[in-house]
Amino acid sequence: MESIQNLLIGFNDIFSVYNMIIIFLGSMFGTIVGALPGLGPSAGIALLIPLTFGMPVGSALSLLVGAYMGTMYGGRITAILINTPGDAPAIMTAQDGYPLMLQGKGGLALGISAFSSFIGGIFGLIVLVFGAPIVSKVAINFGPPEYFMLMVLGLSTITLLAGKSMSKAVMMALVGFALGMVGSDYVSGFVRFDFTPELIEGVDFVAIIIGLYGISEVFLNIENLVHLKMGKPSFKVKEFIPSISDIKKITMPTLRGSLIGTLIGILPGAGGTIATFLSYATEKKIAKNPEKFGNGAIEGLAAPEAANNASVPGALIPLITLGIPGSGGTAIMLGALIMYGLRPGPLLMVESGRLVWLMIAGLIIANVFLLFSNILLIPVFINIIRMIQKYLSPIVTVLCILGAYSLNYGMFNIWIVLIFGVLGYFMKKFDYPSGPLILSVVLAPLTENYFRQSIMLSRGSFSIFLTRPVSLGIILLLITIFAFSFIKKGRNSKNQDYSEE
Amino acid sequence: MKKIVLFIMIVMLMVGCGQQSSDQNAGDGDQQASFPERPLEFVACYGPGGGHDTMLRAMAKIITDEKIIDTTINVVNKPGGSAAVGMGYVNSHAGDGHYLMSTTSSFITTPLSSDLELNYKNFTPIARLGIDPEMVLINSKSEFTSLEDFLKSDKAINVGGTGLGTIEHIVTVMLEKMSGKELNYIPYQGDGEVIAALMGNQIDFTITNPNTAYDYLKSGDFKALAISTEERIDMMPDVPTFKELGYDITVSLFRGVAAPAGISEEEKAYYTEMIKGLVQTEAWKDDYLGKNMIVEGYMDGAEYEEFLNEMNGIYETILRELEIIK
Repeated sequence: MESIQNLLIGFNDIFSVYNMIIIFLGSMFGTIVGALPGLGPSAGIALLIPLTFGMPVGSALSLLVGAYMGTMYGGRITAILINTPGDAPAIMTAQDGYPLMLQGKGGLALGISAFSSFIGGIFGLIVLVFGAPIVSKVAINFGPPEYFMLMVLGLSTITLLAGKSMSKAVMMALVGFALGMVGSDYVSGFVRFDFTPELIEGVDFVAIIIGLYGISEVFLNIENLVHLKMGKPSFKVKEFIPSISDIKKITMPTLRGSLIGTLIGILPGAGGTIATFLSYATEKKIAKNPEKFGNGAIEGLAAPEAANNASVPGALIPLITLGIPGSGGTAIMLGALIMYGLRPGPLLMVESGRLVWLMIAGLIIANVFLLFSNILLIPVFINIIRMIQKYLSPIVTVLCILGAYSLNYGMFNIWIVLIFGVLGYFMKKFDYPSGPLILSVVLAPLTENYFRQSIMLSRGSFSIFLTRPVSLGIILLLITIFAFSFIKKGRNSKNQDYSEE
Repeated sequence: MKKIVLFIMIVMLMVGCGQQSSDQNAGDGDQQASFPERPLEFVACYGPGGGHDTMLRAMAKIITDEKIIDTTINVVNKPGGSAAVGMGYVNSHAGDGHYLMSTTSSFITTPLSSDLELNYKNFTPIARLGIDPEMVLINSKSEFTSLEDFLKSDKAINVGGTGLGTIEHIVTVMLEKMSGKELNYIPYQGDGEVIAALMGNQIDFTITNPNTAYDYLKSGDFKALAISTEERIDMMPDVPTFKELGYDITVSLFRGVAAPAGISEEEKAYYTEMIKGLVQTEAWKDDYLGKNMIVEGYMDGAEYEEFLNEMNGIYETILRELEIIK
């Protein structure tokens, strides 16, 4: 196998004590940056780039891929510990991770998510190693109609995030759509609802997430004097490593999540976000006891976390094979590659194949380091929270405000975070779900633009969605899901409840 | 108790590590007493992989490598709205010299064709760096082999480009008017997306710069059918000009940089010196201009401003003629 041979050369090129230390430091740095709300892979890599000048290219790439993978592991930490997802793909991690934390199983939640992150990451990397050229050929055949249908599929998961009332969920989704419309529209160049110049860019959804999750949780904690069940200080790693029965429970969800993450993560734009929502939805749909989802189901934690990390190598595929970045993180990796004198594009593998394989080997090594370091560090994280528990509310507030500031280095996003913090508090009080709101804020602009591009391509005809096989396939899938849920409803007809519970 | 002390030490160590690396970043600019106070931000108004992005990243690398300035430069992408998003972002930092924005023809066309309440006069022009031509690009697997084939066929033609009212759109509309063939223009977000669309045969052809197309032409994925220069260019002697093919289209993209309005003379001079240093380097001539087939054309801030005034007049006339602005 040529791929294996190349990969072995990559391992051989990267393997030195210096590079191993560099990858380790990079991944630890990435974990910390990723754990801070508002800071993600872009910030993590951007901060390290100046340090890499003067390093050999191989070591520089090692540092950056370590940091890149690290941010992916870091994002889950704050989602689980303080219910503040740093980015949209981590929202689903908070959905079941934070309830586990409240039940005193925060360590277990961190262990399970580290494990499934690892499996997801490795799964995605295997696809990257063996299937990159084929996969990228398939991915470029996705045009606006396919992307539009995929967005619709993503939006359909709103029904599963609905909680008790479907009408409340739909209301929140519509609010999200309205928010998503703010800002400049590249299809026409027209700017909507730009009451201040900052809004030309639209409302940053990361600011909305920090407000709705982090700040509103602080308000609730102050009001209810929430006391986390932390037990006595403990450094025993045993408690944090998932048991055999836990592993059995999460094996299939993790693999399904990995598959969904790899497939959807390849698609540019909101690939990672849609993948986490879809894998969560899948698990909830097929679970024997879906009522546990949202209350600390480990399957609901493992699947989206695997999907999230599987989407990372997925997003690298179009970057490596075509020079087209699929996500914010890969965009900054692209910049780094250019800085080291590589030219990302269709010739990258031909001209600089050896460095690309070195980078892939680095990703695999980083994944292994991160699994172990993240499991070993769980006691540290848990005990940090234990120690600062009394002061948790002010500390979370400070982290959220700092995160908001770092988005744009201005006051504007701090106001956004505070406004959505208050809104989120009332939404929680009156039982309005925040998932549908965030999902539509992220997907609304993409959905709209793909729809308009499709209609422009077909010159006004809606048939474009039916004549293309992939698009038609997604429509049929949606109809099937819809029909099945009606059949299910028919069986439990006495139940007037609209929710899945 | 011991364990707690140990634990505190671990935490301190971790926090310390984090701080050290961020201090190093912030510390780079300390030699300059007042400006810059922190890393500079180069703002690309289009997505990664596109022309704005490539130029700024090349600038950042050469400026850093050749030690023209010793401040850290971060390149950020603010894509969308035919550069409206980037302009809004940079304008939101008016008076702050830490931002430098890439400017191309959309710097003029976007304000003209939208009701964005900003135009080139709301910024401080720093320099024009070069011009690059527009080309008609097709997928090598396309059934067509020449521009004539396209324009005479009965097939409905979809043309991909970035945003409405951009130079690519102007070229498309000019071609449409001159040939009488209806062309359906589809706006995409950034050059990278357009390239992906052409790769996947989502569109029939695209109007783009040699810069974006270079590698795909070299790899044989795409073919170029026409170029908007007065004469054929040395690097691609086989590509005919629009003029040769009977279409009088000679509009090209210009590339430059601008800072927010209201920056101090000191900040302006800082950038002027930086750019002067940059354009003299061999690395700039070879690694950026040469590799990206961009025609050299340096102008300083004052000359660039005059050039922008002139171009604004020309564009306004064309866009009115094409009824993009009413």
